[in-house]
Amino acid sequence: MSEIHPHSVSVQYKGKDHSILPQFVRRFRGGWAARLLGVPAVLLLFVFPVAKLVWLSFQSDAGITLAHYRELIHQERFWITLQSTVTVVLGSTALSLLLGTVFAWFVAYTDIGRKRMLHPAILLCFILPSYVLTLSWSSFIGPQGWVSQLLQWINPGLTPWSMYSMGGIIFVMGIHHFPLVYMLTLDVFRKIPRDLEWAARAGGLGKFKTFCRITLPLALPGLTAGGLLVFLASLDNFGIPAFLGTPVNISVLSTLIYEEIVGFGPSAFARGASLSVLLGTAAVLGSLLQWMLLRKSHAPDAVQPDSVPRYSLGKFRKPVSAALWAFLLLITAVPVSSMISLSLKRAYGLGLTASNLTFDNYRYILFENPRVWTSIQNSLILSLVTMLVCLAAGSLFAYLRVRKPSPWTKAAEIAASVPYTLPGIVFALSMILVWMEPIPGWNPGIYGTMSILFIAYICRFLILQIRTGVTAFMQIDASIEEAARVSGAGIRRRWTAVLLPLVLPGLLTGGILVFLMSLTELTVSALLYASGSQTIGVTIFSFEQAGDTLYSTALSSLIVALIGAGGAVLLLIRKWNSRQGEGGHSHEY
Amino acid sequence: MRTVKSGLILSALAAMLVFSGCSDKGQASQAQSGSGNGASISGKLSFYTSQPEEDATKLAAAFNQKYPGVDVAIFRSGTEEVTAKLQAEKQAGQIQADVLLLADSVTFESLKKQDLLQAYKSPELGEIPAELADPDGMYTGTKVMATVLATNTQKVKTAPTSWKVLTEAAAKDTGIMPSPLYSGAAAYNIGVLSRTDGFGWEFLQAVKDNGMAVIKGNGAVMKAVASGEKSYGMVVDFMVAREKAKGSPVELTYPEEGVPIITEPIGIMKDAKNTAAAQAFVDFVLSEDGQKLAAEIGYSPIRKGISAPQGLKSISEMKILSGDLAKLTDERESDKQKFIDMFGQ
Repeated sequence: MSEIHPHSVSVQYKGKDHSILPQFVRRFRGGWAARLLGVPAVLLLFVFPVAKLVWLSFQSDAGITLAHYRELIHQERFWITLQSTVTVVLGSTALSLLLGTVFAWFVAYTDIGRKRMLHPAILLCFILPSYVLTLSWSSFIGPQGWVSQLLQWINPGLTPWSMYSMGGIIFVMGIHHFPLVYMLTLDVFRKIPRDLEWAARAGGLGKFKTFCRITLPLALPGLTAGGLLVFLASLDNFGIPAFLGTPVNISVLSTLIYEEIVGFGPSAFARGASLSVLLGTAAVLGSLLQWMLLRKSHAPDAVQPDSVPRYSLGKFRKPVSAALWAFLLLITAVPVSSMISLSLKRAYGLGLTASNLTFDNYRYILFENPRVWTSIQNSLILSLVTMLVCLAAGSLFAYLRVRKPSPWTKAAEIAASVPYTLPGIVFALSMILVWMEPIPGWNPGIYGTMSILFIAYICRFLILQIRTGVTAFMQIDASIEEAARVSGAGIRRRWTAVLLPLVLPGLLTGGILVFLMSLTELTVSALLYASGSQTIGVTIFSFEQAGDTLYSTALSSLIVALIGAGGAVLLLIRKWNSRQGEGGHSHEY
Repeated sequence: MRTVKSGLILSALAAMLVFSGCSDKGQASQAQSGSGNGASISGKLSFYTSQPEEDATKLAAAFNQKYPGVDVAIFRSGTEEVTAKLQAEKQAGQIQADVLLLADSVTFESLKKQDLLQAYKSPELGEIPAELADPDGMYTGTKVMATVLATNTQKVKTAPTSWKVLTEAAAKDTGIMPSPLYSGAAAYNIGVLSRTDGFGWEFLQAVKDNGMAVIKGNGAVMKAVASGEKSYGMVVDFMVAREKAKGSPVELTYPEEGVPIITEPIGIMKDAKNTAAAQAFVDFVLSEDGQKLAAEIGYSPIRKGISAPQGLKSISEMKILSGDLAKLTDERESDKQKFIDMFGQ
């Protein structure tokens, strides 16, 4: 699943004490009510699941034990999996770093054309759910795909390499995550003062040496942070190795945990828990490292990004722009088109001729299989409710966090970031363990229904809303609220007339992000769904597992259309937001 | 000037309060048991199966034509995953399934041992071969399905006659089979083959050494063979016949040594919330209409007097490889573990 890591949104808090808190907040502040409700809720939702998971991995009938870990160490399969995980994570991180840096450098420093359009095109790779991107590539390169046909045409003996391999996983993961590196490094590049580079050039260094000695060292913290972010995303990713690795016996940690749990049931919970502890630890360490790096690299925050091109490409401008565009088209648009063409086939294994074209697969998934409809409805309801709950609770918390920083809220924020920092599969397993029997002997009947998905989604994505909310509230100086208060506006009026109009676009951006993430979620749902609560991602995954590629590609093609619509809305809000930002001060009330 | 609903703050506050209870809007509607008057059958029926998605959907639709009041909720995955799910639900305190239709009798034997099934002797049993139903009425076979050799006709010109081809140079790195960790049919086949004279674990090791790929389910095996990605597949017969009828370049062979067969039994869970609908469903599957539907979809029916679809052998024409049911049941988990160790899955 695509992840926009909370750590990529760096936030600093001003520790000023504003005494203009709205009344209810003041009543809550330090208030017993908030803590009485808040602390147990935070503990139950964010801390307890992880504690239970860790506990289970050390637990046996005979008390505390390392037996589960010992069992792992003796399994050849575990070591093979570990090796694959390291290879996949390192390989895809390297690829993402390379692509992300190259694109960021061109967009930040050169005068290539259509930068405004290039930006969303780069993000597209990341916005598409990983399993959709995977299906696109496997149908593009597969024996029925366009590449294969091209090669056949050149020479009947030629066949494309298989996407169902280590290389395939690394490649798709690399292109899926490179926009993360791009987003982080773009700003870093723009903030490097150009006078330093000029000085180096004036001192007689060549272009390349200047880059190596000036630009690269200054960009390094940003690059490392980007690398770590991709590292975390790769550890977390389940869709790509599940679609491309499982069919050919390549497991990574996330898919191994999944296989254990769905293949063996409760008897594998302890094994799954110990695997999860290992995977979770790696993710938490990565997050900590990243957080420390970002704190260190806050220094140049005062520097204004400088987006004036520094290098003119001259006569190369057109070819370079064309090359970048061609590459972007090749990694998304072309495979997606190939997937769509596959979804129009009558039977798998037939050539692509007019007589073999049909809309039957679409008819089947839309009209003949009620379960697909159920899954679309489920996903829509899930993402809508998750968005609304996160919008309300996340934004309110963000407000408290900004206006009234305290150790309590800080701790709560850290707790809320846990479900997102942990790889999805680990988080899902911890949810099963908690909600199956929260208290021994008591089964609330949440596991196996939609409820557990609601809880899981909200817990996992709340932090995204909190971070965007914090950023939105930070941009509004407390004096504005104060002015409204002094002018006699009551709390309701202060919110409706002053605060909300200013922060709503920012909050909605977060909300839409949560919505999109929930809509296409696969990892958590794959472990938690039951009959009647399947989601879109799970349905595509099930089709693919059962060999119904024609249906999985058809449904994926529909998702691409849905996401396109969602992305368009997001861009509109961004536009509206930037207009608001410009005219923010001349608002008339 | 923009006005925002004044209720927003209150609802935000409410959300925060509710948040501690974390929204129960998602409560799936609790299944109601039969409507109570006994004559008309209605309510929710939770149907767990390992049949291909399309077939399960067709079956539910045909059942609904007869019993429009029943809302069939399907959960579909590989047999092994469905049973894992049942175990998880059992641990969570409530099994959600009412009716099960999974690959093989071994799976049902183990559920019967755990006392998760209830006995039901359908009035249709008279037309079903007695040896393909549980004597205690806990489960009944619904069709006959052999695991056969599928070949891609573009890659393999002369159809093989023996399972041994999978260990020979012809099939080097071009064979594919379903995983016993997912597919019940595959788990059954491994159990039978590893205990059959002339095969055993040695045969499986030789197959592995010959570069056999292991993929999740039978459907995926079929896809790989149909697309020419692989040339030889071990797969359930109906899929090959069906794919061949669609025009894919595939051929099916019943090897001379014999074939393991499974019967996709159906059974009712002990804690079924909607027993009336569950029994009606079992009756329908075993009835003449249900069996005709199965044949239409492309399965060899189990009911006497209904002929197998074109391209498939009926049970009387097959040479069957089988094993001791009790032993297969007891050792299913260790067989799976052995397979993991051997194939490094």
